[in-house]
Amino acid sequence: MNLTTVKKHGGKIWAWFWMILGILYFFLPLIATFLFSLRAKLNVLSFTAYQHVFNDSNFVYNFSYSVLWGVLTIIVGVLIFVPTAYLIRLKLPQFRIPVEFITMLPFVIPAIVYVFSLVRTFSQPPLLIVDSPVLLVAAYTVLSMPYMYSAIDTGLRAIDVRTLTEAGQSLGAGWGTILFRIILPNIRVAILSGAFLSFAIVIGELILAQYLVKPAFAPYMTYLIQQKAYEPAAMAIISFALTWAAMGVIQFIGRGSGGGEQSQIAGGH
Amino acid sequence: MTHLALSRISKDFGGATVVQDFNLDVKKGEFISFLGPSGCGKTTTLRMIAGFETPTTGQIIMDDVEITNKAPNQRNVGMIFQSYALFPNMTVAQNIGFGLQIRRDSKEAIKQRVDEMLTLINLEKHANKYPYQLSGGQQQRVSLARALANRPQVLLLDEPLSALDAKIRVQLRSEIRAIQKALDITAIFVTHDQEEALSISDRIVVMYEGKVEQIGTPFEVYNFPETRFVANFVGSLNTASAEVTDPAKGLLNVGGVQFVTASEIASRKKGEAIRISIRPERFSFLSEHKKDNVLDCVIENITFLGSVVRVQVKIGGASFNMDTFNNPFLELPKIGAKEQVTCSKNAVLVLDE
Repeated sequence: MNLTTVKKHGGKIWAWFWMILGILYFFLPLIATFLFSLRAKLNVLSFTAYQHVFNDSNFVYNFSYSVLWGVLTIIVGVLIFVPTAYLIRLKLPQFRIPVEFITMLPFVIPAIVYVFSLVRTFSQPPLLIVDSPVLLVAAYTVLSMPYMYSAIDTGLRAIDVRTLTEAGQSLGAGWGTILFRIILPNIRVAILSGAFLSFAIVIGELILAQYLVKPAFAPYMTYLIQQKAYEPAAMAIISFALTWAAMGVIQFIGRGSGGGEQSQIAGGH
Repeated sequence: MTHLALSRISKDFGGATVVQDFNLDVKKGEFISFLGPSGCGKTTTLRMIAGFETPTTGQIIMDDVEITNKAPNQRNVGMIFQSYALFPNMTVAQNIGFGLQIRRDSKEAIKQRVDEMLTLINLEKHANKYPYQLSGGQQQRVSLARALANRPQVLLLDEPLSALDAKIRVQLRSEIRAIQKALDITAIFVTHDQEEALSISDRIVVMYEGKVEQIGTPFEVYNFPETRFVANFVGSLNTASAEVTDPAKGLLNVGGVQFVTASEIASRKKGEAIRISIRPERFSFLSEHKKDNVLDCVIENITFLGSVVRVQVKIGGASFNMDTFNNPFLELPKIGAKEQVTCSKNAVLVLDE
């Protein structure tokens, strides 16, 4: 065995070591939480905690609201970020870097700072909307911006936006038709990936919903942690399952994409 | 009658002028090629006709209607792109019918026209395929059908063959020309490939650094280049410095050897320095046929190019290339051999600077 072969094998061993370490780091707490959630009954492994969660009307109520906030956030996000990213790519490339910087701000501004500034700004006339769900959805849209915008931008980068737009124009199409019939369908997978990431963010978000006093899944889960032992663990597993299901949907839709050029899952951080 | 007129068109980008004082009248059904090197302004001019760029000055008139400032979707022009620009989310039939849908034609009318177009491009069996399932040549044919489906007044082709391999390119250019003639549609074709332009066009507009160098038929542009750029760019060319020795008789001194030209030099002064050009195929060995210029030469190099053999000869102090058809039964001279070559006085062109 020469030196190159030894080095090659050594590199492979280290690659496996780090991969197994990463898998353990991610899955061990999850397995532990899952096993713990099955121990609601003494000395028996059962799904009792899960039954309790699904039978609790508060769970359904809060979770439904979180789903509603998530869906509204996705709709608003798509309506704002698709035309913005498209316009910047097509007509205003000089604004690409400043806009990308702005979209990343939710990563560096703590949610608690953000929510206090929202409450302060919108709790007095003329913008007294602190109690309105509009503010919560707007805030969620901002929070999901890094995921949604970069997913859409990645999708736009994968197609020849300028030429497709010009082809549409030369065939008589206006901006609306081009955007909705040519551009949107061709970045469908990118939008879906941004949408599901946004959905996952909204489902797990605690601070905005708590301080803006709106029903949501995460505040309810926090409340439950203070009251019960096994049900919060069951809910954590449920939320993981929902997020993974969402990712599975993205993969499934991406595989069925007719365009053939759009199979990437964009915008993951 | 003029179908499309470009009058004193110019275009500036951030202070840099990319098209200057461009004038062109195009007749209905004419096939015009814009030919020039990269950055000469040919695509910019095409994009101004399409409406994707607005001229800084000048007018574009189509069928007596000024369209200079009309939006691209308000002009009835069809555009074919180098990258095909088919909509990836639509089938071949949907791509072809897209413009007709925008025009709100009836479903029956759209279907009929799409079928006509599919027949025209011989892709009837591929109607329900997506673009990524087609070859490059097939995609470009779909792009052609899509552009033609709307019955545009002018068809614009922006280097449509550049992304294809050589054989498909030759085949598709013939198809494009045949379809253009059959439909009698006015076409403007942008290319940097001189062979493409020469083979397909009614007229060629040769451009360089934003200016029109020459407008003419392929025959005129190739055989009678008006400027040094055109002479160099279109086809292979020998150029050499010369001195006028007898303006009245058309005699020149090229590297110590006397040449006679049919170009008009009577107005030049004796001793004036000029540049001449001679196409390689205009030379022949003296044994074949004696012409106006009979020149002693030394064979410097021989390059085999398939159907043509290029022979580099030294005549006096100047080197020239000579192209001769490859004939396997004729022996070529050896390098270093002394020979005589000949060319007619019409072949010796005096170039404008």
